[in-house]
Amino acid sequence: MARYAMVIDLERCTGCRACVEACKVENNTPTANLWMYVFRFEEGEYPNTHVWFMPRPCMHCDNAPCVKVCPVGARYKRLDGLTATDWERCIGCRYCEVACPYGVNYFNWKDPAENYYLDWNDEDLAAVTGGTTPPYRNPDLDQPYGSEQRRVAGGGRAKGVIEKCTFCVHRVEQGLLPACVANCPLFALHFGDLDDPNSTVSRLLRRKPSFRLLEEQGTQPRVYYIGGKPPTTETRQIEEVKARV
Amino acid sequence: MNITRRTFLKGSAAAGGTLIAGRLLSGELETLVAAPPGASPALAEEWVPTTCWIGKQDCGILARRINGRVISLEGHPDHPRNRGTLCPKGIAQIMALYDPNRVKAPMIRTNEKGVPGKWRQVTWDEALNLVAEKIKAVRQKDPRLFVWQKGRSKAKAFYDKAFVKAAGATKLGHGTYCSDAGYRAAEYTIGLHGVLHPDFRYTRYLLCWGWNVTNAGGNKFCWLTWPQQLIQARERGMKMVVIDPRLRSAGHFADEWLPIRPGTDLALALALCSTLVEQGTIDRAYLQNHTNAPFLVKEDGFFLRAAPEGEEEEGKPLVWDEASGQAVPFDTEGVQPALEGEFTVQNSKVKPAFQVFKEHLASYTPEWAAEVCDIPADIIRRIARELGENARIGSTIVVDGITLPYRPVAIMAYHMTQQELGFQAARAMIMLMMLLGAIEAVGGQRIDLTWKIHKNWEKLDRVEIKDPPYNIYLKDSKFFPINSGSPSVMAKVMLEPEKYGVDYTPEVLMLHMVNPMPSFTDEPLHMEAYKQFKFVVAIDPWLSKTADLFADVVLPAATIEKYEGPIKASDQYTDAVAFRIPPMNPLFQSRGEIEIYMDIAERAGFLYGEKGYLAHLNKELKLKDEFALPLDRKPSVREIFDRWARAQGIEEGVAFFEKNGVKVKGPVPAKKYYGYAQEPPFNGIRHRLYGESLLRYRQIMQEKGADEIYWRDYTPLPTWRPLTMDQSPPEYDLYLISFKKIEFKQSRASQIPLLAELAPQQYLEINPKTARERGIADGDEVWVESHNALTGETRRVKVVARYRESIRPDTVGMPHHYGEVARHPWAKGQGPTANVLFFGTEGYLTNTADATFHVKVRVYKA
Repeated sequence: MARYAMVIDLERCTGCRACVEACKVENNTPTANLWMYVFRFEEGEYPNTHVWFMPRPCMHCDNAPCVKVCPVGARYKRLDGLTATDWERCIGCRYCEVACPYGVNYFNWKDPAENYYLDWNDEDLAAVTGGTTPPYRNPDLDQPYGSEQRRVAGGGRAKGVIEKCTFCVHRVEQGLLPACVANCPLFALHFGDLDDPNSTVSRLLRRKPSFRLLEEQGTQPRVYYIGGKPPTTETRQIEEVKARV
Repeated sequence: MNITRRTFLKGSAAAGGTLIAGRLLSGELETLVAAPPGASPALAEEWVPTTCWIGKQDCGILARRINGRVISLEGHPDHPRNRGTLCPKGIAQIMALYDPNRVKAPMIRTNEKGVPGKWRQVTWDEALNLVAEKIKAVRQKDPRLFVWQKGRSKAKAFYDKAFVKAAGATKLGHGTYCSDAGYRAAEYTIGLHGVLHPDFRYTRYLLCWGWNVTNAGGNKFCWLTWPQQLIQARERGMKMVVIDPRLRSAGHFADEWLPIRPGTDLALALALCSTLVEQGTIDRAYLQNHTNAPFLVKEDGFFLRAAPEGEEEEGKPLVWDEASGQAVPFDTEGVQPALEGEFTVQNSKVKPAFQVFKEHLASYTPEWAAEVCDIPADIIRRIARELGENARIGSTIVVDGITLPYRPVAIMAYHMTQQELGFQAARAMIMLMMLLGAIEAVGGQRIDLTWKIHKNWEKLDRVEIKDPPYNIYLKDSKFFPINSGSPSVMAKVMLEPEKYGVDYTPEVLMLHMVNPMPSFTDEPLHMEAYKQFKFVVAIDPWLSKTADLFADVVLPAATIEKYEGPIKASDQYTDAVAFRIPPMNPLFQSRGEIEIYMDIAERAGFLYGEKGYLAHLNKELKLKDEFALPLDRKPSVREIFDRWARAQGIEEGVAFFEKNGVKVKGPVPAKKYYGYAQEPPFNGIRHRLYGESLLRYRQIMQEKGADEIYWRDYTPLPTWRPLTMDQSPPEYDLYLISFKKIEFKQSRASQIPLLAELAPQQYLEINPKTARERGIADGDEVWVESHNALTGETRRVKVVARYRESIRPDTVGMPHHYGEVARHPWAKGQGPTANVLFFGTEGYLTNTADATFHVKVRVYKA
């Protein structure tokens, strides 16, 4: 069984946020739910400043705090390393959101069908799309996945449930890369099997020093960063996304 | 017509209980109920290859389509420009495709102009008849009264040109607000059509001169291709020095940041030239053999020429032959031309142009530039030294079996030409690379994607400056002899035609994918002028702010869902051609532009016949013989492209592109790529280090009575002068610059909700030190007030201040493309365009009528 991980090359990232958009379209996430987020950072004082960028998906921790606190087993760890959310089982208690030190959980405060950026309720459009919301709705997300055949793919499922990055389970199970990785224009994102010594991710981690975010908390993230250093208390976020909710 | 990339659904759909697209998942309870097996038909998946509609470089796309509905747009893996990836705009445009806030149907205005429109939805027939009637009438009266304006052509501009020519209209583009000053400088100096970019496969040392690496494009490409090539070059060890008032643009890719004072790039380029000459790191062989540097210049500034051969012919410029000790025509066999010295020929004192340049540079020392540019002199000297070392003058390399000069230093510069001295600054930067011999050498300075001498090489050298009356943008005038065709000049002329010697005012305006009011400099100027158009028609998928205020008719254009092409797809190393193929039928009542133009031309009576639109389409697409469109029948758009593809030798016709999207022609050979690889090198042209014709224009302009403001920058060698904006009173103590954000592209992106979410509101970047001095906290609302140093006019907008350490303390910056689309829920509250604050008139234009995005402002708490 493969054990998946993501490797993010900070030297290559331009902070373009194409990964954010690729995730949003692929996973049909509603307004303000940014499963993949890209920090744009500034450090230092003029003229000795440094600008850099850091993509932040769910860390898919092996010792995931969110899994431990989930009272109903909706958040669970798969054998392939993915930290999954069964939206059918989620009761919306938001314990995972509190437990996660990375802030990757998004709660559906609104009925997702009414929270897809625009009012898609349009006669002329329905004539073409059959009234699907959003019109680019991805049917792959509606399949059950894994040997357990659980409902773990995609976003915008229901009001009152938690959603987060799935590592694009629906793509990974078909042998495809997660949408963010597949699209990265600068090839800064890598994904693959850490158990396979010849995978790109294994090779990159052998070749370059890496770090994981908040490693000291013992969460054992499956997202590794190369080509940079973690942010410090001196790191300021610029151009932050303050999404309209 | 479609390719299938995945067949997984055949298996999993049958087993798992298929959920067809629908409202099944929209309710809380429904989400818990899977559809019963077999309740829905199987999903039909197709992949339609097409081309991005948002940006300028037209990336290849595969549209994933399920049951006829597009569900995602992904990068086309074979397309050289994007290699299977897309920028955030490319991904997010799927929302624009379906957006119910698009202009759905033709609309006719029912209220007065100059205020937000009230509209009546009409049939295509009614709208087209009205438009055709107006165009017919104006053409009968005087075709010059018909102005056609476009922002960006999203393919080869053949159908635009054909329409303008068939209609006899006056055409205006967007280039003057882009980098046309740089284009003119390169065309004039080197003969190539473009601005400045490196040969990334070989460049080892790059001056990133105002290149917005992480947010915008550069020469020829919009964003994705350049950064892809940049990271490869960096991983190979290329050093990058960033010259920019703000660092954010370059991000962490900067090895060194020189925060230059806005508008002073010419001074820095001159000081670098001066230092290179002083330290002697110059490529003499290139200067002697491929430039006009050895041409002898008389005391009056003009070349010394041989006696004319014929009555019409001008004599050949002479050089000083050091072998024979006399002046001989520059192309004399075996000549050893002097670059330096002073000689007496035909009783007049003459010097080689290079000697003149050397003396010209003497006062432009690093110490002098340090004061002007606010970059320490020792750093300027070090950069010049590094340039000289990295240029490896004299070295060669073998590419494709051809031995070529190897000069791995280059400049990447594009929108930095949007400044008062933009034309001469770009020229000085090219001259810097000329001194190093890097022009078209391996690893050196590139201008175009391939070596191709542009028609402007000759044209810009032989402008015949005329007496009035002039046309509406002052072509061949004593004001702007080299002229990029500026819409804001047109606007100014419309308000004061007599002042400019123009004897008519245009009446009918066609706006195609252009939104001058917010997207060009000087919104208030355009507001005034556009009131004078008697009839305005806009072709646009969106209700642009301009259309909302001034259009009489709006015709809904399709976005990505139409046939359009052919589209260049080269990444400079691999050549390819692509097409835009409709991944679904045009949404709502929208239509592709070519169809719209054919219908207008038909109804206005200029579609058919030898001088009609169809004949011009044949000409522009070079459709001849059996491939030519018949001149008596309206074709489908697909047929036009089918004929084009077959004429290119593609047997399957346009079906090839419907199947593959892009035709990759293969690597660009060195022979086609490098000017040095031509026989003779550069096809024998002599690059213009010395701009003799610029001096001629200056004198003619003076003779014809043009004011100094027009002729002062027509100098044979780039010459520094104090900037107009610096004449503003001292309370306007900050420079305002503008910049692009990766999220937005012109008027086609900022209303796309997925993008607007990432960058919801206009803001002002300000250094915290500067802000604190004014009592401004991060996030405070402030007024930004600009001042026109010549007219005294002030303008202001209210925005939110954002602290940034990576910007000069004397400079503030605002991004572009906020508030461009009217009546879109996501455009509401985006805030003002920075273009209110910039001026589009004299003092704030280059000598080539190109716009500047620089002005002095003051900033205070709102």
